[in-house]
Amino acid sequence: MERTKEFRHIGKATPRKEGRQIVTGAVKYIDDLTLPGMLYGKVLRSPHAHALINKIDTTKAERAAGVKAVLTHENAPDWKFGIPRVVALLDKKVRYAGDAVAIVAAESEELALAALELIEVEYEPLKAVYDIDEATAEGAPDLYEEFPGNLLPTQSIAFGPNTLKEVVLGDVERGFAEADLIYEANTSYDNIPNPLPIEPPGVIARWDSPNELTVWSASQSVSWHRFMMMGKMGFPEIRSIGTQCGGSFGSKNHSPQPFFYAAALAKATGAPVKMLYSKEEHFGAFVLRLGSRFTGKIGLKRDGTVTAIEGEWLVDTGAFSDQAQTQIAVGLGELQLVIRCQNWRVIPKVICTNRAPSGIVRGFGGQELESSILPVFMEAISKEGLDPVDFLKNNFVKPGEGYLWREGNWWVCRGQDYAKAVEEGAKAFGWDEKWKGWLTPSSTDGHKRRGIGVGVHGNADVGEDESEAYVRLTPDGGAVIHANVAESGMGQRSSLIKMVAETLNLPLEKVTMTEPDTMVAPFEFGLTGSRGTWAVGTAVITAAEDALKKLHELAAPRLGVKAEELESENGIIRVKGSDAAQISWRKVIGVFHTVTGHGFFEPDFSMPNFMMLFVEVEVDTGTGQVTLERVVAATDAGRIIDPPSLDGQIYGALGAAGLDTAIFEETVIDKRTGRNLNMNMIDYKWRTFEELPVFDNVILENPLPSHRFGAIGIGEISTSPGPAAVLMAVSNAIGTRLSSYPLAPEKILAAVKSAGEVK
Amino acid sequence: MRYFSHQNVATASDGVKSAIECEGKSCFIAGGTDLLGILKDDLLPSYPEKVINIKTIEGLGNVEGREGGARIGALAKLSALERDPTIIELFPALAESAASVATPEIRNAATLGGNLCQDTRCWYYRYPHHMGGRMDCPRKGSGPCHAVLGDNRYHSVIGGKRCFAPCPSDTAIALAALGATVEVIGADGERSLPVEDLYSPMGNTLRGGEILTNVDIPAQPKGSVQGFKKFTVRKPIDFAIVSVGARITALEGKVSEARIFIGGVAPGPYRDEGVENYLRRKPLDSQSIATASKKALLKAKPLSMNAYKIDIARSLIAELLEELTR
Amino acid sequence: MSSKPTKWVSLTINGDNREFAIGGRAGELPPSETLADTLRERLGLTGTKVGCDRGSCCSCTVLINGAPSLSCMTLTVECDGASVITIEGLPDPLTGALDPLQQAFIDHTAYQCGFCTPGMIMAAKALLTANPSPAESEIKSALGGHYCRCISHYHVIDAVADAAGRKS
Repeated sequence: MERTKEFRHIGKATPRKEGRQIVTGAVKYIDDLTLPGMLYGKVLRSPHAHALINKIDTTKAERAAGVKAVLTHENAPDWKFGIPRVVALLDKKVRYAGDAVAIVAAESEELALAALELIEVEYEPLKAVYDIDEATAEGAPDLYEEFPGNLLPTQSIAFGPNTLKEVVLGDVERGFAEADLIYEANTSYDNIPNPLPIEPPGVIARWDSPNELTVWSASQSVSWHRFMMMGKMGFPEIRSIGTQCGGSFGSKNHSPQPFFYAAALAKATGAPVKMLYSKEEHFGAFVLRLGSRFTGKIGLKRDGTVTAIEGEWLVDTGAFSDQAQTQIAVGLGELQLVIRCQNWRVIPKVICTNRAPSGIVRGFGGQELESSILPVFMEAISKEGLDPVDFLKNNFVKPGEGYLWREGNWWVCRGQDYAKAVEEGAKAFGWDEKWKGWLTPSSTDGHKRRGIGVGVHGNADVGEDESEAYVRLTPDGGAVIHANVAESGMGQRSSLIKMVAETLNLPLEKVTMTEPDTMVAPFEFGLTGSRGTWAVGTAVITAAEDALKKLHELAAPRLGVKAEELESENGIIRVKGSDAAQISWRKVIGVFHTVTGHGFFEPDFSMPNFMMLFVEVEVDTGTGQVTLERVVAATDAGRIIDPPSLDGQIYGALGAAGLDTAIFEETVIDKRTGRNLNMNMIDYKWRTFEELPVFDNVILENPLPSHRFGAIGIGEISTSPGPAAVLMAVSNAIGTRLSSYPLAPEKILAAVKSAGEVK
Repeated sequence: MRYFSHQNVATASDGVKSAIECEGKSCFIAGGTDLLGILKDDLLPSYPEKVINIKTIEGLGNVEGREGGARIGALAKLSALERDPTIIELFPALAESAASVATPEIRNAATLGGNLCQDTRCWYYRYPHHMGGRMDCPRKGSGPCHAVLGDNRYHSVIGGKRCFAPCPSDTAIALAALGATVEVIGADGERSLPVEDLYSPMGNTLRGGEILTNVDIPAQPKGSVQGFKKFTVRKPIDFAIVSVGARITALEGKVSEARIFIGGVAPGPYRDEGVENYLRRKPLDSQSIATASKKALLKAKPLSMNAYKIDIARSLIAELLEELTR
Repeated sequence: MSSKPTKWVSLTINGDNREFAIGGRAGELPPSETLADTLRERLGLTGTKVGCDRGSCCSCTVLINGAPSLSCMTLTVECDGASVITIEGLPDPLTGALDPLQQAFIDHTAYQCGFCTPGMIMAAKALLTANPSPAESEIKSALGGHYCRCISHYHVIDAVADAAGRKS
């Protein structure tokens, strides 16, 4: 930590910029906004999991008090989304229980809800499929005529013409021939948990002219509601404004359905419309994780060298694909970071089922794939008695090694060897002392048994996509960052302000950032895949450097030196190493002017991040209860920008459909009716203050060649190693291999019983 | 929430009268923590025209010691019960069960009467209307019980009939173990009944317009010990998968009477006479506990997914009885 | 809709007296209105957040007569005579100075997205009023029902413990 002393702000715990607004309740979230004349939108939802709408009569609803518009598939705009783009705003067919049938705008939520009751619908129920096996069985009903067998194309052009749709490398036959052990298995990670930020999704839409739409929304990536939506709506001009976002975890990068509903109703009524989902809609009609099953085989040498990986990755995306294909592309890349192997044939399939759709969730394909494939590797190495920490440490991509990334290109890692982080983490956890071998508890006390496990994740998306920013220097010795960055909990706006304040050598109070608004700031992809620190950071830093350079060029003649000889501190420019000649920003800029710099970031997938989670659980073999006792997270962030924010991101492993998807988080779909049975915060389990494990973060700071502060982001990935780690720990505790999630009491009790442990 | 009118009543008999005048189109509100959720989710085929506030009834919020027992007004808050010195001293099982309910915020509003009378947590019954329409079932007057062929992991393993939802009340389990009775007032006057008789497979046995007014706990036998234990996935904000309330009375080192009630497994507190009978006239020790706990729920007829509750119940009984020996 | 004679309810919110006519007519406060809606929609006190609207996340917690209470599960009509304190009522009304608890949350970055923060602060305020130096286990149980999906819990516990220290 000695190193952070070089910096004025970086590496120090500094208060969040909007801290006072948060603790006084002044900060505005989407539901805190009310526009003059605003109407409220509500959705009529389907009782059936799969049905045709044969007839729909909205006459009574249209006449109801306060109702301004009723839209159905018969009169809604022809806007479509999804990959492929086949998902209509409103369709003649419903594909899950809770799917949208009609939307209403009225003067109040109560009136809109009352109007929904007056819509008469005749359905023709169809046979439904609820999981991968049912959907792919012979004679299964098709959700979409265009996609027989419920198989969506795996190819997309989201990341360009060569978007990764499989990993086929080397020669798997040769790889298996070289193997000492060939292990064949399948594991499912198909409990489709919900990322469930506390704030439900919401959008307010207002048409300012027939071709100009302004939307306010809770989003972690505000520009998506411009660039992702324009083409789907016939290219209106869209201005997207972000409010404070009450958590997202990927799910609120965009909200295509609430967005479309609000925009369509606003168009139909000529008034602004707020479409705020209820918690039930948030549970039952927004974003679930993908279901995932790996089925295949791996070849292994005795020393833990992986010689071949071959198999099918089955991805259940629910009623449609929002971003299943892009998640597959990234997940396949991430697996290559985690497992070193020369010979691959991993072929994904995307499958539709009659349940609420999957969408983007923190972990973005990688968590899903690793949670279903790492257990297979772990079982294989257990046959050789190998230590999982060593195996994962040795296999994680090293500098100079390569991998295919999402857009189909081969990248060579120029990051760092994370072995040191693994070793420090293992030491802090006490791995060597606790590890007693496979399927062996680390300690036993009557019917309580402890077990340990480990998981890993890495992502090269820390350098994904494009960012631009302006930094505007003001004569009073301040700076305004024009960057379209939302605050959804990461503290990234404050961290970017720190980077700029550090670059300009200003007090933090003198640096501000514009509110997220596509009209005000240049293009910014958004806060996805841990890209905020490096990608967005680079844009704001280079913008600040550019502005400072311009300022110094203006000041240089006044001080009779070259611009390169100048430095600036607290709004005063002086010759480096001398206090004699100096001049204020005010004098250089002039009271009625500003100086603006422009910064950029271009994608670079050569520097993967890394996260290893060590977990210890206690299992009560009498009740089947799994208690998470301890977590150690090990990583190297290059440099810590803000310690509490980074700690918070890592603690987030326990939220956002992360580690706890191995213990109790799941979406329960009734297999007879397709109804989602746990759409409330009692039946959907989540971790409370009273079940916090001891959680330690081991964060190394070996600077990386990212930007002037040597930092990369790691926030996204803390959730991802958890499920596989817990599965291993519980298996070790009870001495029986478990291979599905979540590890609910009934599953533990059954496993213990079948192992003959229950007297 | 859809509109309803609202009336405060000053006495229990006013409440009964008002409810009867409404001919079934009203409901009572006390703490409201269950009712408002039901109304917001629009669960039931009928929606009240009037909500009758019984919190304004005088004199039903107290805990009164009575000859070693206690009379507790139905409006006593759960948060008051978990802190009440008399309850903690004489009826720790009740204090523990009250403290195990939901969250501090809920317990600040929720009443003992409401905890006893709350509606089922069956997730088919509770399916929110706005997500495609409420799900009908026998308890709502029509249709089959979805749990029988559906996901019944949280349902009853014994005693279900037409409806297989278990009793969600924690305090009922403790009170049953303590031999408590409830007092009810209705159009035909007052009646009192053992706590466990308040429940039937189709819900509580209160008749139209009846209000639960008081809970009477008798003085506990000399030499008795009592306790309550609840198994949940997480500590706060969870209903019992299984709970156990027990009172063991010993005479000269041997069990003279055992009252063992299991929650989360049946429409009401399930009295397990198999366990009780085994323990009688035996010393309460590890050996007798180990054998007795395995006799729990021997008559259970679990549904397709909930046999695990039997294992948990047996473990929980053993743990609780072990604790009571200390 | 009701045409019953108008009934009035009066309560104190952050020290201000508020009176509402109860009923179903325009401008009246429907008996079915929750305190959360009254605060947010009627009075513009949007610092109180509604997360689940079913009493299961505690983000809407306010103090009613000093007790932490769920405003989404409370009918305003039943608050006659009550004193309600919301997050907006915590700073000193004259100076704007933050409550030590609010300052401790800032100092410990005891939030991520911040949506659950007002509810947590109100529950913690009630805890510290009743118990000026709580043990960690008491902090955890007082906040047991408060949902935070970002996992700010560890920082929150530090902030509440720190605020307790500052007060004493």
